[in-house]
Formats: sequence, structure tokens, C-alpha cells
Amino acid sequence: MPGDMCISLEIPPETDFACPVAGLANALAVRAGFDRRENYRFQLAVEEFCLYLAGFADGNQPLSIGLTGKRHQMRASFAFRAANLSLGALNITSRATSGTLEASSAEMGLLLVGKAADRFRLEHHTGDRFVLEAEVDRAYPEVATVRRPEGWCPPFAIRTQHDPAQLTQAAALAMSAYPRWQCPGCFRTPAKFPDMVADGAIACVLACDARGQTVGLLSWAPCSGQALLFSGPFVFTPPETSASVARLLVDGFLETVAREPYNIVFSFRATSDLPKASFETLGSLQSFVDGRLEHHPIVFRHLREDNGLAVWCPPQLERFLRQAYDRLALSRDILPVEKPTARPQRASLLGAAYDPGRNLAELTAFLDGEDMTANLAAHVAAFRRQGIGAILYHMDLSVPWEAALASDLIQAGFTPVAILPQGGRTDKVVWQHEQLA
Amino acid sequence: MNSLLDRVPDYVRSFERYVPSRPDPVLMRQFGVTKLFRLNNNENALGPPPLALEAIASFPPKQGAIYPSGDAYDLRQALAARFGKSPDQFLVGNGSCEVISSVIRAFCAPGDAIVTAEKTFAVYEWVAKFSGIEVRLVPLVDQAFSPAAMLAALTERTKIVFVCNPNNPTGSWWNRATLERFLAALDGRAVVVLDEAYREFLDDPDFPDGMEVMQRHDNVLVFRTFSKMYGLAGFRIGYLCGSLEAVDIIRRTHIAYSANILGQIAATAALADDVGHIAATRRMVSEARGFLRDLFDSLGLEHMGGAGNFIMVRTPLSDTLLYRRLMREGVMVRTMTGFRYPNWIRVSLAQEPAMTAFATALPKILETS
Repeated sequence: MPGDMCISLEIPPETDFACPVAGLANALAVRAGFDRRENYRFQLAVEEFCLYLAGFADGNQPLSIGLTGKRHQMRASFAFRAANLSLGALNITSRATSGTLEASSAEMGLLLVGKAADRFRLEHHTGDRFVLEAEVDRAYPEVATVRRPEGWCPPFAIRTQHDPAQLTQAAALAMSAYPRWQCPGCFRTPAKFPDMVADGAIACVLACDARGQTVGLLSWAPCSGQALLFSGPFVFTPPETSASVARLLVDGFLETVAREPYNIVFSFRATSDLPKASFETLGSLQSFVDGRLEHHPIVFRHLREDNGLAVWCPPQLERFLRQAYDRLALSRDILPVEKPTARPQRASLLGAAYDPGRNLAELTAFLDGEDMTANLAAHVAAFRRQGIGAILYHMDLSVPWEAALASDLIQAGFTPVAILPQGGRTDKVVWQHEQLA
Repeated sequence: MNSLLDRVPDYVRSFERYVPSRPDPVLMRQFGVTKLFRLNNNENALGPPPLALEAIASFPPKQGAIYPSGDAYDLRQALAARFGKSPDQFLVGNGSCEVISSVIRAFCAPGDAIVTAEKTFAVYEWVAKFSGIEVRLVPLVDQAFSPAAMLAALTERTKIVFVCNPNNPTGSWWNRATLERFLAALDGRAVVVLDEAYREFLDDPDFPDGMEVMQRHDNVLVFRTFSKMYGLAGFRIGYLCGSLEAVDIIRRTHIAYSANILGQIAATAALADDVGHIAATRRMVSEARGFLRDLFDSLGLEHMGGAGNFIMVRTPLSDTLLYRRLMREGVMVRTMTGFRYPNWIRVSLAQEPAMTAFATALPKILETS
């Protein structure tokens, strides 16, 4: 994004370089105007990840580091190569074991090392290439009380030019009028929202009345190469006009993203104002809200025609898939895949995105291994220890070995809750670990 | 550790890739139908004119080994004779999409812009975007191109204004006076492309003939195609007509030999024998339009579309879901979310069996939704 402050460098994967890189993180944080606390957390995260990766990144290959200062966030990105032998150690629950490490903290798994960051994710690119990203958010003031405008003056219209003050007010209005779980995290500190819009991390449409007063808001952000996750519609007018405002917001959203490179839009926190006829329901996610177990529907729609795909399907999922595809009138070639009789290696590797702010952890599989069931269970246990309520697993049906993991997931306590058409390279099955009520 | 993506320009990386629909037999198998009515691409259900059919049938297969005329010589002669112009004022391409690319390459440099409507044929926007050219999109007013808004969107860097007349998908069009006022106000500040892909479906005397307009305005280029009225979509023959100077410039950015040999032959033959074909097609389209308007009115559905061989209708459910349900009934339509009309579909106007199939399937689906 224009306006981002970026530092790129390559270092040998050695512990001696962790401190100078942390110094750069400090300089970036100061220059980007972050508070001292966030600055320290960012330095700490950068230094700890450097030390951690020095434990098993390929010694002949440099560690590529990108440090980015945005309005709302600092991000550290570590691109590295790791040989098969050390991949098991990349699981966030593992303990890195390397004679080269001196700091005792580096003996911990990523889940502990990464506690300084607000969230982190590990991604597998190709072959032996990995990227580890850690993010530290700017501190913003909590939501202040906001007065709801009165005396609406139709006609209502979508406004495409967004004023930061108006965005802040819209986020605060949404927080005051809707349950917390339906609002994106950035609404809790409304001044963060316009910064995220300016950074390109989130996008939105606002509906206004003839006087320019905000009457509604709908926001969205990409969550994969093919899918946009939306929140809303948030409507601030009385009930007699709320349906027309919601329709305006949804149409404005769809028109805005119609020619962007995404195939679907979906939400698991859509509000009751959503025009149901414009969307399809896929299933629901369990969530604890104020101590109560709730089911939140997953709604979606395509942006383009879906003329069919081929998906891999294990026997345990066939009935679930066929019923879902029939209900959704989706055309799919279902290709059978069996659980492998032998695993390619001993240690499996799971990718994890961990976001305590959203009370959410999400898992994907990078490498199959003999310990897959145990590895899943270890991740669940680690997340539960961190107090995470919702643990999801995403299965991409374009990859046969990934689809074949159904029995491991079932054994580890996961249940398929929805098909997300074109949510991955093809369709994705969303699994959720069973909540203990 | 650069990845392949790091080497790709941002404007390509962020671009939406187009996924064409699969071949009909595959779709029929996937959706479990034995017949599929194609009402999605505004093809002419009557097929090509008789002389074109004969020309195609008599094509010697061995001639497939021979390159076509690199600049569609015979076809340009025929077009020149038809419209009373020099053959050098015509440029023939592999469909009008290729001609759009050539025009943008010829007139636009990095930092330049094009102007068009936000709800129109997508290819102007696509080609400009993946060429790194700015696209300034203007809202329609009353479902039609707004001359005032188009003029207001102009900057010093605007090189081309695309006007789809009649507009796909709304079917609205500028009459002679509107176009003339627009061109006078524009005062030659940009090239104006009049895309007349559907003009042969109109016989209204107030519809402006681009071939005549360009004689008085040398910044006007006219696009036409053999894919719609002439029923030759499978052969991909589109063309533009402009001043000698303009076409000479565009020719420099245009790929020679791109129009295939059989397409050139079929298009040339089609031009020689189109009066009865055009009349029959207009009759079919008119009957189908009346039939579908009655259907939509009876179902209480909003619809639009005056010109062209298509009609749009707003549906009470997601257009992409309706598409899949209609496919299961053996009817393929075009979803309109991609045209920025969420929950609308566009239906090509065709012969009675196809219209009846659609009219049977739609109420059935709406009842169960």
C-alpha cells in the first residue's frame, strides 16, 4: 500500500543477528509513531521469531525479513527455507530443539514465543519455503458513547467517498446497536477502522441520508484468494426503513466487488438485517456468547456463475458432501480418496492462525504425517489452554491427501459444519472442534 | 527468495481472471440434463445467414493448412462497399475484444485513462485494467449512459471514451441528438468508441448511425461484430471503422493474421445476403421480448431492455443460485452480478422452444425458493 513504511533485509539464520533486527523494528515503530508498549511488543516478537527460526531454518539459506509499518499495525514477515527433517518443529505446539539456541525462551513452541504479537500465522508456500507473519496492532482508545442521529431525511444513498470521522462514527454506531460478536474487531476501537480502510486492510460501503447522516454500514476483507468475509449490514434507521437501507448496502457491496478477483462472499456474523433472499445458508458455527452456546449461520453467495468443479472426497465425508451439493444445486465431480495406508513421513505439520482478540484459532494442514491425529489433539489442547473458544479447521478439497485427513479430524474431535464453495482452491470444508458446553 | 508472483505487475496480480463456462456436453452431464438452451451469450438462435452457411459448408478442409489473409483483405473490400468507405478505414480482429485491445494499446500510455459506464460491457474495463491504464467509471442515469457524467469524468489524461450503443446489458441507447450534443461538448478531447455490437437489432430512425457520425467527427471509431445479428460468434470476427489516420495508427498495435480464414469467408458471405436474415431475426426477437415481458409482468418481476436481443429481469433470489437452478432445468442464462446488477439475470431472446423452457422453469423455481 502507498504510505506503508517498509524495511527489507536478508540475514543468515543465526542468533547473533536477532538483536540488530530488533533494533530495526524499534526504529520502524518509532518512525511510524507507535506507543512505547507496542514498540516493545513488536521488538520482542521480531527478536523471538528470529531466535526461533535460527533453530531450524536451512543454514545455507538466508532468512528474508520484511518489516512493515502501517497506520493501524506493524507487521513482521519472515520468509525462510526449512528442510523436511526439521519441519515437525515448525508446529506451533512444538519445542524447538537446537544446540545453537541460547535463550531459554527459544526452547518454547511458537505459541508461546508469539505471545508478544497480537496474532501470527505460518504459511507454507512451495516445497521447503515458509512464511511466518506476526502482527502488532496500534493501541486505540476504546469505543466512546455515541449519539445516534435522529430525524432521518430520505432518500438514502450509498456514499463512496469516506471521511475518517464518519467511518469512526459508523463503527461506534454499529458497536452500540449490534452484539459484539457481529462486529469486526476494529469496531471496538472505532478510530482504528478508518486507518484500516486507508491501509487497504478492510473496505466498506456507507449509506447516508439526504443530509449526509450515516444510516448504515457494511464492511468486508479478503480471507483467501477467492473469498471475501463481510460483516453487517449495520442499519441505524428505525425498523420501517431498515429493510431498504440493508438492501442498499448489500447491493452497494456486491456492485463494488463485482469485478474484483473474488468468486464468493460469505459471513458467519451477518446481522438479522441481511436480505436473506440474496444469500444462501451453508451451515452454522458454534460460539459461546456471554456464557451461552449460540449457533451463528454461515451465509454466502457467488459473485459469478459456478459451472462445476472436481473435488476429492473421503468415504467419511461423502454423504455430507452429496447432501450439501444437492441442497445448493452445485455441480461437482466427486472423486473418491481413501485414507493412506502409509504416511509420507513421521511428523505432520499444521499451519495455524491464532487471534485471541476474536477468540478464534484456525488450522490448516501443510504436511501429512504419522502423528497427524496426535498433532491435531495437541493443537486443540494448546488453544484451549490459551482460552480460545472457537477452533476451526479448513480442508481444501482440491488436494487429495488433505481430503483424506477426514478420519484424523473426526478422531481428534472435529465435526464438518459447512461446505464453503470455492472457499479455497476449490471448495473448502469448514470443521469445528466440538465445544464443551 | 522472490516468488513468481513478485515478478508480476500489481495491475495484473490484482486482476480478476475470467473463467469461461465449460462445453455444453460437460455442463449437461454435470447438471443432469439431456438438453441445454443457451440463453446466456446473446447468440443468434437462427444461426448465420444462408449464404454464410453455404460458404462454411463448401470450405475445402485442405485449405486449413493455408494462412488467412493477414489483414482480412476481401472482408474489408466487402465492408467498404457496404458502407461507402475506403477498405483502409476498416480493421478486422479476432472478435471485437481484440479490436478493443488494439485501440487501447494505440492511444493509451501508462498514466492515461479511459472513461466508460460502470454498468456496461466489461471488456473495456478489463483490457484497460490489465494493461495498467486507469479506468474511470461513470454511473448510469435511468439505466442509460449519462453524457453529463461522462464529460465530468474526463481529465487531461483521458484518451478514450467507450460508449456502448445500445448498451449491453440495459438495452438503453443514445439517440442522434444526444450523441451529437455529447460529441460537440467533448470537442475532440478524446477518442470516442461507439460500440454498436447490437445496432442491427434496431430499426428506429432516431438511432444514430456511427458510420455516418464518424464522417463528421474524426475522433469517432465505430465497433461492430459478426457475432450477434450475423450468427457467427464461433468464428470470432469483429471490426472497427474510423478515419484513415486513426486506423493507420491502430493498425500498428494490431496483430496481423488474427482473424481466421473461415471466419473471414463466412463474414464476407453474410454481408452479401443479410436483408431477409435481419428481418427474420428482428421478428424472432420481438416476439420473444413480448412473451418474456408478459411472463415477468405476470410474476411481478421488474425488467428492462429495449434494444438488442436480450432482456434483463430482477429476481427475488440470488442470481447465481437461480443460474444453478435453471441449469438443472436445462436453461442457461447470464448472471448479472458481474455487470454490477446483483440479483438480475440477462436472458437472450430466442425461438419459442427455448423461451417456453425458460418460462416453465422460472416460476417453478421461484415457487420453491
